[in-house]
Amino acid sequence: MPDISELIGYIIGATRYLMPLLALWVVARCVRSMLRERYEPETWAYLVDLNGERHPVNHWECIIGRSRSADVELDSPSVSRVHASLQRDGDGYWTLSDLRSKGGTFINGNEIDVLEDVRDGDVLEFADEELVFQEVSRDEREWLERRRTAPGRFVGPGVTLLILTLFQAFLTLEFTVTASEEYVLSVCLGFLALIVLEWFCYLVMRSVRRTGFEPETIAFFLSTLGMEVCASSTPDEMFRQVLFLIIGVALFFFLGWWLRDLRRVKAVRWLAALAAMGLLAITVVLGEVRGGAGNWLNFGSFTIQPSELVKVLYIYTGAATLDRLFTRRNLFGFIVFAAICVCALALMGDFGTALVFFATFLVIAFMRSGSFATVFLAVGGAAMAGFLVLSARPYVAQRFATWGHAWEDVWDSGYQQTHAMSAAASGGLFGRGAGEGSLVNITAADTDMVFAVLSEELGLIIAVIAMFAVIALALFTVRNAARGRSTFYVIAGCAAVSMMMVQMGLNIFGSLDILPFTGVTFPFVSKGGTSIIACWMLLAFIKATDTRRDASFVVSRDPKTPDYEDEEYEDYGGEDDEPEETEAAR
Amino acid sequence: MKKVKNRAWSSLIIALALVALLAVYLVKLADNGGAWATYFNGGTPAGTIIDRNGVTLYSSDENGVSYSADATTRLACYHLIGDANGNVRTGALRQFRDMLSGYSFINGTSSGKTLQITVDSSLNAVAYNALAGRNGAVMLMDYTTGEILCMVSTPADDPQNPSESPADGTYINKCLSASFVPGSVFKLVTLAAAIENIPDLFERTFWCEGSSVVGGAVLNCTGSHGNQTIEQALANSCNCAFGAIALELGADTIAEYAEKLGLTQELSLDGMTVTAGSFDKAEEGSIGLAWSGIGQYNDMVVPYALVRYVAAIANGGSVYEPNLLGHGNLDRESEILSADTASRIAEMMNYNVQNAYGGQWTFPGLNVSAKTGTAEVGDGTSHAWMTGFLNDPTHPYAFVVLVENAGGGLTNAAPIVNQLLQAAIAE
Repeated sequence: MPDISELIGYIIGATRYLMPLLALWVVARCVRSMLRERYEPETWAYLVDLNGERHPVNHWECIIGRSRSADVELDSPSVSRVHASLQRDGDGYWTLSDLRSKGGTFINGNEIDVLEDVRDGDVLEFADEELVFQEVSRDEREWLERRRTAPGRFVGPGVTLLILTLFQAFLTLEFTVTASEEYVLSVCLGFLALIVLEWFCYLVMRSVRRTGFEPETIAFFLSTLGMEVCASSTPDEMFRQVLFLIIGVALFFFLGWWLRDLRRVKAVRWLAALAAMGLLAITVVLGEVRGGAGNWLNFGSFTIQPSELVKVLYIYTGAATLDRLFTRRNLFGFIVFAAICVCALALMGDFGTALVFFATFLVIAFMRSGSFATVFLAVGGAAMAGFLVLSARPYVAQRFATWGHAWEDVWDSGYQQTHAMSAAASGGLFGRGAGEGSLVNITAADTDMVFAVLSEELGLIIAVIAMFAVIALALFTVRNAARGRSTFYVIAGCAAVSMMMVQMGLNIFGSLDILPFTGVTFPFVSKGGTSIIACWMLLAFIKATDTRRDASFVVSRDPKTPDYEDEEYEDYGGEDDEPEETEAAR
Repeated sequence: MKKVKNRAWSSLIIALALVALLAVYLVKLADNGGAWATYFNGGTPAGTIIDRNGVTLYSSDENGVSYSADATTRLACYHLIGDANGNVRTGALRQFRDMLSGYSFINGTSSGKTLQITVDSSLNAVAYNALAGRNGAVMLMDYTTGEILCMVSTPADDPQNPSESPADGTYINKCLSASFVPGSVFKLVTLAAAIENIPDLFERTFWCEGSSVVGGAVLNCTGSHGNQTIEQALANSCNCAFGAIALELGADTIAEYAEKLGLTQELSLDGMTVTAGSFDKAEEGSIGLAWSGIGQYNDMVVPYALVRYVAAIANGGSVYEPNLLGHGNLDRESEILSADTASRIAEMMNYNVQNAYGGQWTFPGLNVSAKTGTAEVGDGTSHAWMTGFLNDPTHPYAFVVLVENAGGGLTNAAPIVNQLLQAAIAE
């Protein structure tokens, strides 16, 4: 019988090398499924020209024009480059808007302005180009849909989740050895709750017959690492961590559900803007200063960071449907809103989050306007504002002064970064074992230096995989952009992944002294309730871009298409039902 | 939609930036990982340092730190091992910290490794005792392998009970990190330049009448040597002869040889930087140039560079880079001198010992080739130098001994050399 310490050695020794493999496997499967699988567009209608050629309408929001970037390209000199937009709403009603074209836009011979209803069989004229609008019939749509690939056919999401569960089991096993006796139970229960939660989500998805589970799997993988950090640094707060995770997942479902209906989404955008500014205003006034930034609200026994929730509202407000992209006033409104948010954050001294908001603003502004001029203007303005913040806030200025010189002042201004680097290096590629790290004893290691904590305890490989997992989400979202239904979803999705990546970059490379140390969170991994909730809500925006067949619960099925699963027809309950009646009411 | 789709790629700029930053980090990590990982272990990284005979010189684990039990060994190996506070910059505790802690890029840190260094701590103790409280530096190396067998610098301190107010120079390893006026040992450099640049050097005779006049100033010699061959001039360490040779060669040639032979190069020892010596080019034809050719003027030499040069002479013109970490460097042989020049200098150094340094009286039972130096420091005192090597295939040792402000080289440095070599061949 080998003695206990020897046994411990064997356990840690084996799992140490297995876990990076499992992590790589999980993420690689997700990546393969998200980025490698065939991916056909949805087709909603056709524009038939006089020669009988059918131009497919593949989005809910399409631009018709001569430009090569138009969704329906009309090759006639009289058609403007960006001539008109054809839009569909969630209920299947189509509208046509003229985009200040030279030759004018006509429906059945009547010149139109904006948001004019279009019905099946209408003759649309764009200057001298005449096309017939033809909705895809129920049968045809069904036939088209069936030809599309559903996710999960080649890379089963259940298997991926099973591998992730195995990863979690190994991690828990390591903790049973390394955690102090009084916390072993709570750590194990925490991981068990995580496993139950992810399988619950998976079953919910299956029950509504959605098979795209890769973004969730990646989020659960990152959350697992977050749990690891929590179990290692503050095992007494495992329960709290799980609780926030559950709230986050619940709000993810809520926001996803909310995003299904574009009209509803558009209707409350101004409310979201107001809520964001209200939250920031409250924080500016009542915020409690922690670690130099006054961005905490204190409610008795627990505290929240409203700026995290504002992130969600900010993207919600910033994204826009196609019809709004062509109005300058709308963009201007967003610029003012973004400036207020960034300034409020700067006022709180939360320089890192202000930077994240600003970078996200750049992405949104560019996606909305397509104009580098706007972006350059913004950068110029921000540089000046940033300079003011730097000169006014000694705390921020000092962090900038330390940047790149952490090793010159190891015991004061470079204390956190040098300890992070030292710990990260000491872990090697495979880590010292979960719960075996020393970095977690340093203030804010479990939020601001999680990359180093992961490197130290689980090894560089897993830490880098975590980084690439977030990048994979970004690649996925950008890939989805080509087939998105509405620009709102595409812009929101891209903004969300950009926000996550910027935050992650500042977090990782700030703690490693390659960027200024600003103290923002690593999405899903950093400890902190509000941050976790916000990340899960951002994930809903990513899910909204996924238009693969039956992939995402956020993307509603076409109400005009009966529900089906494989070869059988089945009723699909809920709001998407009763297409006949809608048709009749019309 | 297509428009927005094209714009969506902009968010991937961030992804690209992330990958680039990660690359920066990985390069930095590969480069400095060991130093980072072991930084917070303090000055006493986990691990054990043993000498070439397995004698433990340092040991640190969770139970604490210990050094050699013998006080003399602790003092003699003070600069070699270093101290807990990291005062000795070139000490193994600072320089080889990552090897001690067992850092590797793949496995990170492990709990303490055993590091064997090439030095024989008993030879260090012999050298330390021979210095007998005087300040100086002693090195002994195997010129066929580059292994350093002895490296002592004084004054030293006891790492176990560090002194509150240590003497000046305690924290400096004078073998590696300090340069000194070389005096006549520098004639070995001028000689190498002369052999390769003055074709009839060995046919010539050099006249000495106790002093000569160069550029209106007087160049003093150690005696009136009369008419001499170059061999005799080196054995006599005749300033008149080497002053004249220096004037003939010119400052550029001597500077070139000082660089080529490593005396003014920035050398390194197992990755740590060794201080470079210096040679200022005096005006052509000036007394300064004459003095610079005989190791005075502004000449400065580091003992390490000198023993490395002498090792090359002993080894037929090429040197195995000196090392403390043992074999593995044998491919790093660099030729700094032609074999022919090296053998001529070696013969002349042997002639020195037989005819001027007392031969068997000074080094009983040993066949030594050497050159002494008595370097005037400027305050009336002189550094005593002796550098050379043992002609013994089973004990191929090159040495340098420097005793600061001690007086004549032969009187003060040679006895230390003898004690060290006797101890070394007795091993």
